[in-house]
Amino acid sequence: MNRIAGRTFIAMLLVFALLGGTVFFLSEYFAKGEEWVLFSGSPHVYGGTKLSTGMILDRDGALLLDLSGDKTYAPDASLRKAMLHWTGDRQGNVYTPILSEYTPDMVGYDAFNGVYSYANEPGRMTLTLSSKAQKAALEAMGERVGTVAVYNYRTGELLCAVTTPNFDPDNVPDIAGDTSGSYEGVYLNRFTQSVYIPGSIFKIATLAAALETRRDMEDMRFTCDGVYEIGSGDVTCEKIHGKQDLKSAFSNSCNCAFAQIVELVGRDKLQQYVEQFAVTESVSFDGITTAQGNFDVSNAYGESLAWAGIGQYTDQINPCSFMGFMGAIANGGKGVSPYVVSTVQVGSHRTYRAKAADNRRVMSGATAQILTEYLRNNVEVKYGAENFPGLTVCAKTGTGEVGGGRKPNAMFAGFVEDEAYPYAFIVAVEDGGYGSSVCIPIISKVLKVLCQ
Amino acid sequence: MEAILNSLAQVEATHCHVFTEMLRWLMPILAGILVLRCAAPLLTFRREPEIWAWLCLSDGKRLAVTHWESVIGRSKRSDIVIQFPTVSRSHAVLTRYDDGSWTIFDADSKGGIQVNGRKVSIHALQPEDIITIGGIDMMLQPISHKQEQRLAQNRTQAASTAGMVANVLLLTVIQCLFCISYLLGSIQRSGMEIMIGFGGLILCQWLLLTFYLCIRRRSFEAESIAFFLCTLGMVAIAAVKPGEAVKQLIAMVIGIAAYLLIGWSMRDLQRAKKVRYLAAVAGVGFLVITLLFGKEYYGAKNWLIIGSLSLQPSELSKVCFVFAGASTMDRLLKKRNIILFIAYSVLICGCLALMNDFGTALIFFCAFLIIAFLRSGSIGTIGLACTALGFAGVIALKIAPHAMRRFSAWRHVWEYPLSTGYQQTKSMMCIAAGGMLGLGAGNGWMKNMFAADSDVVFATVCEEWGMIVALLPVVCIVALAVFAVRSAAVARSSFYTIGSCTAASILVVQVILNMLGTVDVVPLTGVTFPFLSNGGTSMIGAWGLLAFVKAADTRQNASFAVRLAKQGRDEDE
Repeated sequence: MNRIAGRTFIAMLLVFALLGGTVFFLSEYFAKGEEWVLFSGSPHVYGGTKLSTGMILDRDGALLLDLSGDKTYAPDASLRKAMLHWTGDRQGNVYTPILSEYTPDMVGYDAFNGVYSYANEPGRMTLTLSSKAQKAALEAMGERVGTVAVYNYRTGELLCAVTTPNFDPDNVPDIAGDTSGSYEGVYLNRFTQSVYIPGSIFKIATLAAALETRRDMEDMRFTCDGVYEIGSGDVTCEKIHGKQDLKSAFSNSCNCAFAQIVELVGRDKLQQYVEQFAVTESVSFDGITTAQGNFDVSNAYGESLAWAGIGQYTDQINPCSFMGFMGAIANGGKGVSPYVVSTVQVGSHRTYRAKAADNRRVMSGATAQILTEYLRNNVEVKYGAENFPGLTVCAKTGTGEVGGGRKPNAMFAGFVEDEAYPYAFIVAVEDGGYGSSVCIPIISKVLKVLCQ
Repeated sequence: MEAILNSLAQVEATHCHVFTEMLRWLMPILAGILVLRCAAPLLTFRREPEIWAWLCLSDGKRLAVTHWESVIGRSKRSDIVIQFPTVSRSHAVLTRYDDGSWTIFDADSKGGIQVNGRKVSIHALQPEDIITIGGIDMMLQPISHKQEQRLAQNRTQAASTAGMVANVLLLTVIQCLFCISYLLGSIQRSGMEIMIGFGGLILCQWLLLTFYLCIRRRSFEAESIAFFLCTLGMVAIAAVKPGEAVKQLIAMVIGIAAYLLIGWSMRDLQRAKKVRYLAAVAGVGFLVITLLFGKEYYGAKNWLIIGSLSLQPSELSKVCFVFAGASTMDRLLKKRNIILFIAYSVLICGCLALMNDFGTALIFFCAFLIIAFLRSGSIGTIGLACTALGFAGVIALKIAPHAMRRFSAWRHVWEYPLSTGYQQTKSMMCIAAGGMLGLGAGNGWMKNMFAADSDVVFATVCEEWGMIVALLPVVCIVALAVFAVRSAAVARSSFYTIGSCTAASILVVQVILNMLGTVDVVPLTGVTFPFLSNGGTSMIGAWGLLAFVKAADTRQNASFAVRLAKQGRDEDE
């Protein structure tokens, strides 16, 4: 019997094979369970039980989109249009990365509970956007093409970001058959995916670079004769500004003065600081990666380099990134990334909460303070503080010459200095003409709603 | 019953949600406690060293006889070692029978054995008989009746009556909760079938327990485990095909009858040896009948259709194969015996090759390996057999394209989610969706899947009741296998050891192929999960295999398949 008993270990080998296989399976389960659940065709996610019953709400809890069945959008047509580029359309023509990014959280998957939720409650995604501000922005933009956005530079919450043109997902127009061109690029979220020639708003970056480079910058005086010869060409102003200090050169948006400032800073330093300020860097949040801007002066000399510092040449900025740069100035030199999804909740279980935004220092506090003072001066002496009643707005206009006989892009970027309303903003209107006349009324209306 | 169904129909949705939420947590706890209570005694029972007789040599030395079947020989691995050149390595086998009598067998030794000076090959020993092995005289001195009683008392008690009843009560609570949760989900559909299914299960286990109590047996762990697995099987049926609950219940009753019958036939070793021939013939018979009258499904000809019943006789053939492969020690050492077994295996193998059922063939092959190794102890033999299988497998894959396809998807199922990997990928999606605690009764998707109650039943249970509950069957089967291995040391005969280890191994192999096949750790072969998978013949086969494990249980008053040892055979039931 001893022999037989000794040989029974062979049965134990099978037992070990079973246990080993089970452990292997469990390790795969914990490593790849989420991947399995979210794999295309997964019955609990795409089969009509879970994701298809999710909801998207605005910051005040108003319904923007109910994903169940054939999808239900907000009851208000203007809100549906204003939110189009965030909540998408039924045909899937508008790319909505936030939906795919938070699918696991909307489904509420975790390795312990699977996709279980009490009573099969749907996932609820709350955005940082304000319906009121969105509607106000849409109305203010009217027929114009472009984007207007506001975010909280302390927390990173994106309060408003409307892109035009847009359409009502419940009443889709004949876009393919449209010949007027009024739906050109309608599927594009211009706030995150477009780039614009910045024009004079880029002078903020050049000024910041100058302040960071030279301590005596504020004591400098610049003379404007309407034309400033540099290298083989020249830089021109629309009128002769005469002798100015730095502050008035900035509020006059004097090209001749800024050509001199660029010379003082130098090519390499300018490039270095623009990169450090992250003016053209793309930003990633909530599954969105914004379009990459452009500032490349490696082959720019003389007049080209000067124009680059004035926001022309090959400069391009993405509205979202530039708004972040405004936020960094307002925040004392520390940049805060924006985000649009604040929480995702399944039943009573919160599956996602936006983390406190990162605080990356892009410029010194002293520089940020001087810039704030200068930007405030612009509003006081040029744009009119009465446009923003009760608010301490600091800003700069820009007119991006696009050439080709088209009207220039109108730009307006800045922020509210008040502690109660720490909002940075940007407005970009394509073919808009002069920044101040087009953009100021738009942002003024949006801020009025947000700062009530 | 109608009243119960009607009252359940009145329950509000919110109450259902609360019930589901509660059960998600309660079920793993209750089932876990039950499985632990049943598995722990099987895994930890003490194996008391026993002495049944003394072999007194002429020089006054006394050698202890510690088993009912003992090999006497020169080899160090013999049970009774006599280091003397004239003694063969395995010289003789000393066997004790149920009635306390002893017989000595010659194991094809060179010198042979003499009893009272006469050369014999088999001899029933009388008191005072002088045995001569290799020129050495000795006398067998069995222990007294009193000593035997003391031995019996020292043996591990299987369990207390209260413990047995507590386990079955706990199991009943689990079954009731499962039943209610499925009734809440599908009253309109097949509430009655579900109630009969679970109710019948409860009735069967209490009847069997009462029967055990009547015949003074106190071990119900293996049976509780089997009933727990059947319960999970019933859960899968309630979720997938509630209409088949009654059919499966009937199969289970037949299975229990087969279990009792096989156990009874093994109770007496002499009877078992006779039944063995019958089983051997039946084993081949089942396969031949399938080949002659069977139907081919999915490339394998292993289904027998009689009226509305579809049977898979190869499931029963497995049980017969275990019976045929088991052998007592005296025969084990003779060459004729192993040659017969190999010839028998070749015959079975031929039938399986014609049936073209890969999964079944693999199970038989594993059973063959286990039996061959237990009998011969030769790694070399096993190596040769495996090599032969490898060659045969390669050739088979070349010939059978559908088997090849199955292998091409193995570990690559996510690349073919809509074709060859469909069952596995969907199963894994649902397993992950269920998490550790499941989605609750009726909330699964697996019911839409082909063979959700058999081939991929693991995923069905996982999805609705969670990974913890779904992995308990693995614990159960492992406990049975470990028990079979551990009890080998105190087994009454190699017949029982070979039987129980092979049967347990088959159960383990089936779990490996079924469960790990579902999750793509091994290729999916369509083998059933013992007790769990919906399928009548599979259920009967699983109970049949359990009988072998039970027959090797020598704990005090534990097994109905072992005679009570206390007061001798006269007072037995």
